[in-house]
Parts: sequence; C-alpha cells; structure tokens
Amino acid sequence: MNYRNLWFFMALSIRPLQILAQAPEPQTQEQKIQELERKVEEIDQRERVAERNRELEAEAAADKARSGSTVGAEPTGITIRSNDQNFLLKIGLDIQIDNRTFPGESSVPLTDQILIRRARPAVSGTVYKYVDFYLRPDFGQGSTVLYEAYIQLNYFSRANLRVGKFKPPVGLERLQSDDDTSFIERGFPTLLVPSRDIGYQVSGDIVKRRVSYTVGVFNGVPDNGLSDASVSDHRDYAARIFLTPFLPDDSSPLKGLGFGIGASSGNNDGIPLPSYKTFGQNTFFSFASGVIAAGHRTRLAPQGYYYNGPFGLFAEYTLAEEGLQKGTVRRDIAFRAWQVQASYLLTGDKKGFTTLSPNKPFDPKNHGWGAIELAVRTGDFSVERGFFDYGFGSVTATPRHAKEWVGGVNWYLNRAIRISLDYGNTNFGGGATAAAGGNRPTERALLQRFQINF
Amino acid sequence: MMTRILRIGWSLAAATAMFAANPSSIKLLNVSYDPTRELYQDINAAFAKHWKGKTGADVTISQSHGGSGKQARAVIDGLQADIVTLALSYDIDSISERSRALPANWQSRLPNNSTPYTSTIVFLVRKGNPKHIKDWEDLVKPGISVITPNPKSSGGARWAYLAAWGYALKKNNNDEAKAQDFVTRLYKNVPVLDSGARGSTTTFAQRGIGDVLLSWENEAYLALNELGKDKVEVVVPTISILAEPPVAVVDKYANKHGNGEVAKAYLEFLYTEEGQEIGAKNYYRPRLEKVAAKYADRFPKLQLFTIDELFGGWQKAQKKHFDDGGVFDKIYTPGK
Repeated sequence: MNYRNLWFFMALSIRPLQILAQAPEPQTQEQKIQELERKVEEIDQRERVAERNRELEAEAAADKARSGSTVGAEPTGITIRSNDQNFLLKIGLDIQIDNRTFPGESSVPLTDQILIRRARPAVSGTVYKYVDFYLRPDFGQGSTVLYEAYIQLNYFSRANLRVGKFKPPVGLERLQSDDDTSFIERGFPTLLVPSRDIGYQVSGDIVKRRVSYTVGVFNGVPDNGLSDASVSDHRDYAARIFLTPFLPDDSSPLKGLGFGIGASSGNNDGIPLPSYKTFGQNTFFSFASGVIAAGHRTRLAPQGYYYNGPFGLFAEYTLAEEGLQKGTVRRDIAFRAWQVQASYLLTGDKKGFTTLSPNKPFDPKNHGWGAIELAVRTGDFSVERGFFDYGFGSVTATPRHAKEWVGGVNWYLNRAIRISLDYGNTNFGGGATAAAGGNRPTERALLQRFQINF
Repeated sequence: MMTRILRIGWSLAAATAMFAANPSSIKLLNVSYDPTRELYQDINAAFAKHWKGKTGADVTISQSHGGSGKQARAVIDGLQADIVTLALSYDIDSISERSRALPANWQSRLPNNSTPYTSTIVFLVRKGNPKHIKDWEDLVKPGISVITPNPKSSGGARWAYLAAWGYALKKNNNDEAKAQDFVTRLYKNVPVLDSGARGSTTTFAQRGIGDVLLSWENEAYLALNELGKDKVEVVVPTISILAEPPVAVVDKYANKHGNGEVAKAYLEFLYTEEGQEIGAKNYYRPRLEKVAAKYADRFPKLQLFTIDELFGGWQKAQKKHFDDGGVFDKIYTPGK
C-alpha cells in the first residue's frame, strides 16, 4: 500500500465516525419513559375533556328540554306544551253544518234549512301544572254565545274544584259532548236539565275510579238553558253520583257498565220559562200567557249506560218538578222524560261514552274506511194533567206528551271528522190543535250533519 | 244548621289566620350563586339562633344555588326569592329592571354598595405546580389547559375574564387590542366551559382535567381543604380583580310572604361581627376592619383593581363583553 492509498483508506474510515459524532445522543431509558408519560397524559386529558364536554352537553340538553316547549298538532287539538309539562295551551275547533228537511205535509210550518249548528273554537290548557282553563264560545246559528269559561284546580286528584260556566252535573246525555252523542240532536230528558250554568263545583273519582261524584252550587238557569248572570239571590244546588263498579277490571264484560243519578234543587223565582223542542229543533211546547216560574224546582235524573265492544246501550229518565204561577194560582208541575238508545259499530270499532277513534281511519288507498255506526233511540216526554187544569197551558196550543223514535247512521272518518244521517219521527198526544180532541201533527225530520271536531 | 256551618267556617278561618300570623314559622328563600353553599349554611344556622334570641321566632332559610346569571333569570321568571345573594350587581340590576321585584336603588340600601364581603380570583393548580404557573402570563402559554366556567352564565367566570383583561390592560398601558389578544389566547387554552363555578371545580378536581382552575378565592381554599394539600395548591397572581358580590331583599316576594323585616335583618346580620367572622372563616374577605385584621393571614396581599376603575362599572362591562354579540362571543369558539 502506498501513501496515497493509505490516506484514502483513512479518509473513508474517519467519515462515518464524524457522522456518528454529529447524530443526536440516544435517549436514556428515563427520558423515554418521561416522553411516553407526557404522551399518555396528553391522550388522557383529551379523553377526559371529551367526556366532560359530553356530560355538559347532556346537562345542557336536559336543561333545555326542561325549560323549552314543544308545538304539536294532535288529534285533540293544536298544542303548545312546556317540556316540563307544567304549561299547556290547546286550540280546538268544533264545526257542525246541518241540513234539516221535513218530509211530508204538516199543518205546522216547518222550515227546511242548511245551517251552521255549532261553530265553537276552544282555547284550553294548563298553567302551573295544577290549574286548567277552558274557554269556548259558539258562533253558530247567527249568534254569539259563551258556552264554557271555567278554571279548574286539579291539585287534589279526588277533589277537583271548578269555577265558572260549564255543564251542571245532572243529565247524562247533557254531560256527553255533542261530538260524542250517537244522534245529531239530543233526546227528551236533556230538555229538562240545565245546559250551562255559572257556579262552583267539586268533583272527583274515588274507590279506584269505581265511583265518581260531583257537587256544585249554581245561579240557576231554565231547563236546557244557559245564562251569564243570576236573576235572583237564590241558588241551584246540584249533585251527581255515578258508579262504574267494573271499570278497573279490564277483563270484565261489565267494564263498560255505568249507572247513577243526578239531581238538582233550588228556588226558581224569576227564572225564564223553558222552551222544549223536537228532534227537528221545532218548539212544540208553550206556556200560557202570564205564567211565571215561581217556587221550587227539583230535578231527578237516574241514568246509565253499557258499552261492550261495538255495542252501546244508553238510558236515562228525568223528572223535573217546576214551580209555576199564574195570577194567584201556584203549583208544582211535574215534567217527565225518558229515552233509551242502542248503537252498534258495523266496522267492529269500540264504542264508549267518549270520543270514538276508528281502528282504521279513512284512507282508502291503504284500506282504511273509518268506522260506521248504526243507532236507534226511542223516548217520551210528558207533563202532568195539572199543567192544563191550573191554566199554565192550553190544550189547543200544547201537547201533553210527545213520543219519538230516531234511527241514524254515523260515519266516523277519523277521530275528528264525522258524517251523520238521522231520521226522526215524533208523535204528539193530548192536544195542540184548535179542534177539540186533535193532536199536533206528527213531525218527520231528516237531519244530516258534517262535523269536524278536534 | 246554617248557623252551625257558619260557626265552623269562622272557626276554621280564624285558625288559618292565626296560623298565618304565627311568627314562629318563618321561611326564607335565599337564591344565591354557585360557591356560597357552605357560607350560607353557616350563616343560616347563626342567624336562626340570633333571630330566635331576638324575637323568639324560629326561622328556616332555604338555599338555592347555581350560576349567578341563571339564578337571576329564575327570579325574573318567577322564583319567589325573599333574598338574592348573587355574584355581581348586574344580575340583581337585571331582576330589578325586568321583574320590578325590587327598586332600582337597591344597592344603596345597605353599606358598601350592598356588598358585605369581597373576594377575588386566584389560581388552583396541581400539587407541585408542574406547569410552573405563577401569574396571568403563564395561562396563555401553549400547552397550558385552563379551566373556567362560561362567563355568559357564571358570575365568577365574568370576574375571572375581567381579571385577565385588567391584567393585560395594566401590562400594556391600557391597550385594548392587546388586552383582547391576551384574553383570546387565554380562552384558546380553555377546553371545557361549565355553566357555574362549582361545575368548573368538579371538572378540575374530580374529573382531573386541566392544569389550572381560575377560581373564586374562597372556592380555591375550599377545594384545597377538601382535596388536601397533597393534591392541589393555590397560586395567587400578582394582580387580580376586587370581586364584590352583592346582596338584596327582593321586596316583591319578601313582602308577599310577610318576610320583609326578617329578610332585611338577615342581610344586616352579614355585616355584624359574627356574620363577618363567618364570612372570613369561609374565605370571603371581610369589610369590617376588626375582623379583616383578625383574619389577615388568610388573605394574601395582592394588587386589586375594581370594575369601576378599569371597566366603568358592570353595566358597561356586561354590554361590551358578555351580551350577545359582545367581545366574548367573538373571541370564544367552542371546541377550538
């Protein structure tokens, strides 16, 4: 090896050593551990932060859920509900368009007509969890009438307090919503009980919903009437007890059985005289000139129903003893009325006292046709003979009794919409014609209704 | 029969009236901010004893706690507080303005602008202060994780935010842009925003998140006592803000409940020597000089600036920094 080669060899050997000398010093074991610990801590922090943020998001969501509100369109109305369930505002609507025709000849003028029978927007709801309110005027038939305006305190489940204007607890069919009755117009017993009155009422369900009770004090209104003010210092006291002994037992065939009695009592001095109407909504009963309500009025209304699957049976009787006066003659006169109804849902849906919800709402493309119901009823109205004997009425103007039978078919397209067709026949007896021994002519009425209610 | 019913009715009414008027069943509701639970537990016990001795009547005080802003909102929405003891006067001003439940001059009805005690913002760090956090400047360094609640809902967080801003102003010759840049960098280091001070303490102490907690002074010492000196340390910065949490009787509800007199007495009790001692024991800086001197060793000396001094009062500070669209909304982006 010459010197030149030796220098070349040495140069090759030194270069790697120089490179090695310039490279970073290898980490010690401890440094490596520290580095790893730092990285683990970083990852751990990231995990913890993510988890905590998830917790806070969940808390914020729960907070928002508690404090926010939900707007909804439900079968029972348009609702705005606070998420904590303490506040609710519900807007509902009830519109009924009727077509009344009276087939055949009659000596009494009966007018065929299409009319807005009811047009009732309803605003109801809850404030502060335990207080409900309800407001419902009616704009139907060309007039504006306040039907319901009340506040109800529901704090004690067995004793709810209601104050305002509402249905007093006497007649069974009266207490049933007009959207839920099987017929377009109500039967005779409802003519003898108050429609709406202003007062206070306590009600509740006890004995595991087997017994419901209601007691109240009211201003007092005419039979089938309503008022926004009292005409005297006197008050009407009303009470009702209704038993559904098998209600809690879902398997019992008698689950849908209910029966009870409603009553009212009070002085009727100065209260306007009532007006009694037929199924076709024609006044058939009138008082003689100079007659006034005076003395005492007592109503008694035993009542009951039975529902089982598609079948429904409904019956009530009402006795109303009304104090009447003409001149110096003052007597208590008894008015009596009863009715029995039967109904059957051809589509197999379930019938009840309250709103019917068809199993298959109207939607033909999906084989839904709603529910179809057939219904019949018969009923009777009468006044005691003393009404004429004491001169409170005239046999030439007023019948002593009326008897009706009504058949109908209802098509419930869904929970809100219903189309009904009823035919009613009302016979009269005991007067109402100028000729002695004659009777007011039979009234035949064909009623048809389109109805929306939610 | 009717007479008998009437008699029974009158008896019931009289009994009810007697019960209502019975001074031995007084109930007060104190709606307060997050970290005062322990303070008012002690105050309530002492005041009940004091009131019993003075009037013979029993008084029970219920407490409600949460972020100061949220608590004020609850009262505005109808929570019937007899007394509010909140983190900052702006929140009580809001109640006055929006619900008219107390007069606008509420702050002048008690001494020291109705702030019976003061506090400040300090740092709580992990044992040994591994990130070497000594002052505000250290909070904006990369890699430092800062825990503080959301100033939109927490009074303590608003004080902390303004303390940081004030520090930056003083350091940069009142340069607002530099102060905003400083606070922006600080909030970039905030990974979690709780709604209240107690929630942030939980995040830091229980969940083990973050290197430093911006804390009320009393909350920091409470955590120190609860967690132990082997877990956390309190770091007092060179400069911070003088926090003045106010108190007030909510006239509308106190009068409605027949509690006007006792509610006023309750707040006046906070200024008494006994009330001030209880405050000091709970790490609230007393107003009463005698008590402040007695507990001087509890409260490190540091330079304190007031909100009026640097921000022109709460109304201005709130509008500029914390109202919707304010500076905080611009500088803080969640998750970034």
